[in-house]
Amino acid sequence: MVNHLTLAVAGSGKTRGIVDYCAAMPTDRRVLVLTYTQANQAELRGRLASRAGDHPEIEVMGWYTFLLRNFARPFLPFLFPGRRVLGFNFDGRPHRMAKGLHRFLDSSGAAYACELGRLANELIEASGGALIRRLQCIYKEVLIDEVQDLSSHDWEIIDALLHSTVDVHMVGDIRQAVLATNPRSSKNKRYAYADSIHWFREREAKGILEISESSETWRCRPEIAAFADTIFEASWGFPTTQSRNGTVTCHDGVFLVRPQDVDRYVDEFRPLCLRSSANSGKIFNLKYVNFRLAKGTQCKRVLIVPTQGIEKFIQRGTRLGPIPAASFYVAVTRAFQSVGVVLAEPGNSALPFWKPFGDVMSESNE
Amino acid sequence: MITKVKIHGYRIFREFEFSPNPKLNLIVGANESGKSTLLEAMALALTGRVNGRKASEELNPYWFNTSLVKEFVAKRRAGEAVAFPEIHIELFFENRDDLQQLCGAVNSEVPTMACPGISMNIVPNSDYMDVLEKWAQNPSAILPVEYYVDDWRDFGDRKITNRPRQLVTAVIDSRTVRSTSGVDYHLREILGDHLEPAERAAISLAYREVKASISEGALGPVNMRIAAQHASLHDRPISLAMDQSQRTSWEGAITPHIDDVPFAMSGQGQQAAVKIALAMSRQSDRANFVMVEEPENNLSHTSLTSLLSRMTSLAGVQQQLFVTTHSSFVLNRLGLDSLLLVGAGGASRIPDLDAETVSYFRKLPGYDTLRMALARKVVLVEGPSDEIIFERVFKDIYGKLPMACGIDVLSMRGLSLGRCMELCAALDRPVAALRDNDGIEPSQLRDSVSAWLSSGRRDLFIGEVAHGRTLEPQLIHFNGEAQLRKALQITSQADLLTWMTREKTESALRIAESSVALVPPEYMRSAAEFIHG
Repeated sequence: MVNHLTLAVAGSGKTRGIVDYCAAMPTDRRVLVLTYTQANQAELRGRLASRAGDHPEIEVMGWYTFLLRNFARPFLPFLFPGRRVLGFNFDGRPHRMAKGLHRFLDSSGAAYACELGRLANELIEASGGALIRRLQCIYKEVLIDEVQDLSSHDWEIIDALLHSTVDVHMVGDIRQAVLATNPRSSKNKRYAYADSIHWFREREAKGILEISESSETWRCRPEIAAFADTIFEASWGFPTTQSRNGTVTCHDGVFLVRPQDVDRYVDEFRPLCLRSSANSGKIFNLKYVNFRLAKGTQCKRVLIVPTQGIEKFIQRGTRLGPIPAASFYVAVTRAFQSVGVVLAEPGNSALPFWKPFGDVMSESNE
Repeated sequence: MITKVKIHGYRIFREFEFSPNPKLNLIVGANESGKSTLLEAMALALTGRVNGRKASEELNPYWFNTSLVKEFVAKRRAGEAVAFPEIHIELFFENRDDLQQLCGAVNSEVPTMACPGISMNIVPNSDYMDVLEKWAQNPSAILPVEYYVDDWRDFGDRKITNRPRQLVTAVIDSRTVRSTSGVDYHLREILGDHLEPAERAAISLAYREVKASISEGALGPVNMRIAAQHASLHDRPISLAMDQSQRTSWEGAITPHIDDVPFAMSGQGQQAAVKIALAMSRQSDRANFVMVEEPENNLSHTSLTSLLSRMTSLAGVQQQLFVTTHSSFVLNRLGLDSLLLVGAGGASRIPDLDAETVSYFRKLPGYDTLRMALARKVVLVEGPSDEIIFERVFKDIYGKLPMACGIDVLSMRGLSLGRCMELCAALDRPVAALRDNDGIEPSQLRDSVSAWLSSGRRDLFIGEVAHGRTLEPQLIHFNGEAQLRKALQITSQADLLTWMTREKTESALRIAESSVALVPPEYMRSAAEFIHG
């Protein structure tokens, strides 16, 4: 049993790592590559096809598909004899008071995405070992990309895999955990989101998991990497990010941008403009992308319209909660060269204000 | 290996369930009892095909169990909203590691049980429910199967489109190959499984090269001539080349030869023998299912003997063999302990047959054990004369021959009564056994077979010592000399007992055909009454 977790920082080439790992494997090894988002699945499939196309036994699957094919469909009768899973309901949610089968399947027999983790988890137990045995016989190894995106019952499933004979390799960035499988679920609240690092450390202490850290980023400039590291308190125990980006442009690092300078800043640098949600940043007429959706993208420069929490963090050093911290971290680490944060009052912040070219001239004249 | 077969609604099988033996299964049954249907159903679930053609293409109304369809039609006509008839064939496999891909709990077992397995379901197409409902307003016994679909799944509820690679199935029927390609679908499958992937690749490559060389070689000058001749007729060049499409792949061009005679040209028996040998000798660690339909067909006695010994030697740990047969010879040779008796409701196995008894019959393969297996009731007698007299006695009492009452009178012809009784007991057949006392007290004779006797079901009938040692003196005792002489029409010079003992069969025949009334020996009458019930 070789279980491994690689915690990597943004821009460290996690997906490439998985592809290289697969390409180096014996060609007849039965491997399952799991990831959460559709975009990432397509990305992985494409890259595996070009780098490890001679490995017919590598299968790429979404997390939900994994749960449907190997948990819910084959073993549902253990909880509900004579019943079958007839489809998948991504958006729907069971009624709050729903009991038994109706908690997991809608009226047409389709499994609710948000309850699939719980169902899968209950079936592990109900099947009396048949479920895990089947998995063990089918797959020698399971690779999980973006492991930070899993939550609540998914952790229990990972735990079952860690205790099986299947080799589990996980790659993730705990600082990036902004997606959640079931936002309503209260199960494992303790482990939710960025707290998951503690969960992994517990497994490491028990000796069923090795954790290695990859803290080199090929994307973010050293100034950006250093700033991103400050978003999380030292008590999290995250390693310091090392930047391998030595490219120099006319505008590198993290800057504050006064509201009145925003239009000029955008004109000059064409940054990717990021906001927390559709409700924020309304005072500026910019083409925004929300933090959540920015995941997985990268660009030369970003401009961030901060939330109140982010403002207080920059001005007074007030800590953000795990989820807002993770979102802000994602936003900052999208950039290769520069990050701008729109802010009127700097407070105690040591970050420099960006000065439009004309202003620089008049200042030097004084 | 298949551990259980469940069939619902397929042809003769309304509800059918049986657990096959792990290695060898000899499927025996009367005509129309469903032997071939059973193999067909299993092959359908294993390969998704019937007679080499896809289930969806072959699907027809006669697949459905007629009694289920009749019930459905009657209930619908009566206004009851019963569901449409469906077909379900389930195969349960041994819970082995290499079959776990097929594992799951989506099967009909109660309580819920997970194991590898596959099911073939023929169910109404939900897209056409409105059309079906319309049809059902005035239903007939011919179901509109065009609105049905075949739904082939493993127990993990995953749809199967191609035969799972773990399940290698060879179907060997007695039909002969007369197809254009020289090889039928089943044989092509067998050949395909027989070759290693590397060998297949090499053959495929060589075949393509040969075709290419014809295109470039012999066809080259032809093409040049065509080009020169037709250049003026058509603005694009026309040339001839070998067809390289899948349709003309090597599989269609390669055929087995036996002694340099093409497979399709060899005798029917040879064809069957070759198919069986190919199917069974594959060096593979995969699960193998070999189904053979009536191997005795088209084979001479000696060919059959060598084929059977081949089959027994090749049946291995990885191979589960299903053989239907009408031949006691096949049955005895392959081993009576593998016998499966098929009826519409299920198949019964022989439990706990003594290994020595199995080998006893294996050494005497000519004996008609199949009759014992197929008869409803059995009367065991010692020889032909006992058989003839018993039939006459039975007819005198009941007005018809035993056979008309489902009673088969079997002559043991020197075989051990104990072995025959054991087999009948294993088959759970009602038996009346008759034997001569040969001067020994009947109670003493009973002891040797008492283990197989069962009150009211299996009993032994022996004439009293005082009434004579064998059948002939017993007949004389009960009828008197004068009456018998009349029946036998022998002269008064001949000694009756000597003549009867010398001409056993002849005298039995004369008595049977005689119009003179016959008083049966007491033990024979009791036996007839016992077995008639």
